[in-house]
Amino acid sequence: MTPKMEIRGVSKTFHARGGTVAALEPCDLAVAAGEFVTVVGPSGCGKSTLMMIAAGLEAPSTGDILVDGKPAGPAGPRRTVVFQRFALFPSETVAENIAFGLRVAQVARAETEARVAEQLELMGLARFRDAYPHELSGGMQQRVAIARALVVRPDILLMDEPFGALDAQTRTVLQEEVSRLQRELHYTVLFITHSVEEAVYLSDRVVVMSKGPGRIKREIAVPRDAAWRGLEIEEAGTHASFMQTKREIWELIRAEIVRH
Amino acid sequence: MSEVATAATTAPLVAGSAPARRPALYGAAAIGALLFAWWLATAIPGFVPSRVLPSPLDVVARFAALIAEPFSGATLFGHALVSLQRWGIGVLLAIGLGLPLGVALAWLPPLRAVVTPAFELLRYIPPFAWVPIAVLWFGASTTTQAAIVFIAAFPACIINTQLAVSQIDPILVRAARTLGAGWATSLARVVLPVAAPTIFTGLRIAFSNGWMALVGAELVVGKQGLGFLISQGQINDSAATILVGMTTIGVLGTLIDLVLQRVQRIALPWKTAIARPLE
Repeated sequence: MTPKMEIRGVSKTFHARGGTVAALEPCDLAVAAGEFVTVVGPSGCGKSTLMMIAAGLEAPSTGDILVDGKPAGPAGPRRTVVFQRFALFPSETVAENIAFGLRVAQVARAETEARVAEQLELMGLARFRDAYPHELSGGMQQRVAIARALVVRPDILLMDEPFGALDAQTRTVLQEEVSRLQRELHYTVLFITHSVEEAVYLSDRVVVMSKGPGRIKREIAVPRDAAWRGLEIEEAGTHASFMQTKREIWELIRAEIVRH
Repeated sequence: MSEVATAATTAPLVAGSAPARRPALYGAAAIGALLFAWWLATAIPGFVPSRVLPSPLDVVARFAALIAEPFSGATLFGHALVSLQRWGIGVLLAIGLGLPLGVALAWLPPLRAVVTPAFELLRYIPPFAWVPIAVLWFGASTTTQAAIVFIAAFPACIINTQLAVSQIDPILVRAARTLGAGWATSLARVVLPVAAPTIFTGLRIAFSNGWMALVGAELVVGKQGLGFLISQGQINDSAATILVGMTTIGVLGTLIDLVLQRVQRIALPWKTAIARPLE
């Protein structure tokens, strides 16, 4: 079966003083429809660069991004992005932010309203629909960003350390909510994080990257029917299989940090 | 902390609210005291000759006369309208050219490299220094006066627009792109709204610079306008006429600024939305 998104031989070199620096060695990664894939790695392993290339926001030095087997082309609503710093439009209300992609695509007004209302409900934002982003907490702002990215029904949702700027409690709540949405609605997601626990909790597959230059080191499957699925993150973390997977990934990353 | 700051900046926007009324009262009292001191100075016989400083009542009488009958070719309204028209043309031109050019300079580094040195050089030639050459080119016409307004107003328009656009977090434009927006949509729905507060600050400076330069230019060139009116007051040895003209210039300038602030408040609801506890 053709994967939903395929990263094929993608590399990135930057031109620096007196030469070139390889940020990313050729990477291959496929994400199947309905699959939640997380990329983890130490700082500077190029995982954010890989994400920007996957989104079409940066050009790779070599390689291609394919969606449904065809070149993905420039950035667009088939691959929406949730950024770490929310990136909400400050001059627009919550509802206007969420409707942005639909209005750009000139979706009919009635359908736009229905789909925005559906997202507001889904993300628990209904009573904030007319608020401006600066009036919301970080957690609420990131919910808006997720709703804004999902409402256009992308082929794949790209999440670049989406919970990295949130406080610990808010992060936990959002992790559990994303996990619930994923189990119910089966989005196709490529997720980036430096938190191993978050990666294990959310993913079907965890991709570990190494640095200097960045490359994909190992892929680890996390069974969808693991006993801890559906539990709160605190409780899931006490299961032996969860701890086992977490330890396995952490050892891979630790080796990277110690090596440098 | 931020809550307090927001409340402080939005307080004067709430018409008639208690914290807004008190400073307004103090301000009115200061103006009243000034007028009283002026009246007192002219009321003491022999203290200040009325040729040098007429009493406030003389000025009010002169004001009524200037509204009723033409002086130097037009009534006070006529002179004011001519000035406002010249100012309007110059300022609209400055906005029409300054805003798009400011955006272009922010987004196109090569253009910035070409334009900036010449612009900086021209910027330090005062608007009045352009009067002689403008008269040579356009004669003693509305065009000349509007050109001086344009020269005075243009730098604030272009500089603030460039600054505002270049300060926008690129991640917002990236987010817009991933949602399918092209550059025109990004500009209209993301860049300009976010840049608008700084652009408005530029407009305030541009409006007042243009107004001041216009009055200066009218003192030297032309047969109508408020600047012309006060120069005629001097020729006719009428201090009251001069003071009526000066007051009108000051009041109109203030009104222009107030109108712009009101427009800004209506145009940028998200900047003036009072931070209310939502969670």
